[in-house]
Amino acid sequence: MVHALNEIRRVLVPEGILIDLRPIQGNRLIEVVSIRKSQEVGTLEDFDVRLADLKAANAAIEEIKNRGWFVMEKGAEFGLHYYWDTPSEMKEFMDTEWENSRKLEDSVYQVAQSVWAASDGDARMRTRTRMLITRWKKLG
Amino acid sequence: MSLQKDPEQTEIKYLNKHVNFKHKRVLEIGCGEGRLTWEYGDSADLVVAFDPDFDSIRVATVDRPTYVDKEIYFPCASSTNLPFSKETFDIALLSWSL
Repeated sequence: MVHALNEIRRVLVPEGILIDLRPIQGNRLIEVVSIRKSQEVGTLEDFDVRLADLKAANAAIEEIKNRGWFVMEKGAEFGLHYYWDTPSEMKEFMDTEWENSRKLEDSVYQVAQSVWAASDGDARMRTRTRMLITRWKKLG
Repeated sequence: MSLQKDPEQTEIKYLNKHVNFKHKRVLEIGCGEGRLTWEYGDSADLVVAFDPDFDSIRVATVDRPTYVDKEIYFPCASSTNLPFSKETFDIALLSWSL
């Protein structure tokens, strides 16, 4: 990762800008949402391998700072939403697209189905991911 | 209706708060299917957005929105050996790729 960041540094002009945009550690919140209200039904837990990736990314960023390659200028956290019409569509997506990184527990899925079935007609499923964006300036 | 990713466009709003792409040469690392690329690509002077996943790059190329005038390049590549001269880009965007 540090080698890749050094390559990026090489192709950036002096004082060029590096933007790091990525999900950060923390389980994804699962909600049933309608125009009238939102209701939390559980979380989606990251696998250990995913947590290790996040840790390695943090270490790489720390390293480019320590080596004096880049200096951080600003940053912010925000929430990113994914929506599905039904719990089954959400589960199908998670089981296929996220099978190697995170898991929807059966107990959470059952709660999601119950809450969604009892909700308003426009109710949808939503996950909320914590995101981090940081802006870095190339030094030297 | 299938999955909707970030219909509120929170991600591009935060991106635009942190960097101005206008008249800049941009390198995007890990562009995937180009979801973000097409959002900012029209304002930059040059965009090279790459990803190691060939299928994603194919989708990015095919999904070009009609409103985008600029030529945007989508090579399939890895970030460990970038095939560019030094000091080619003003902005590098790590798009969910670190």
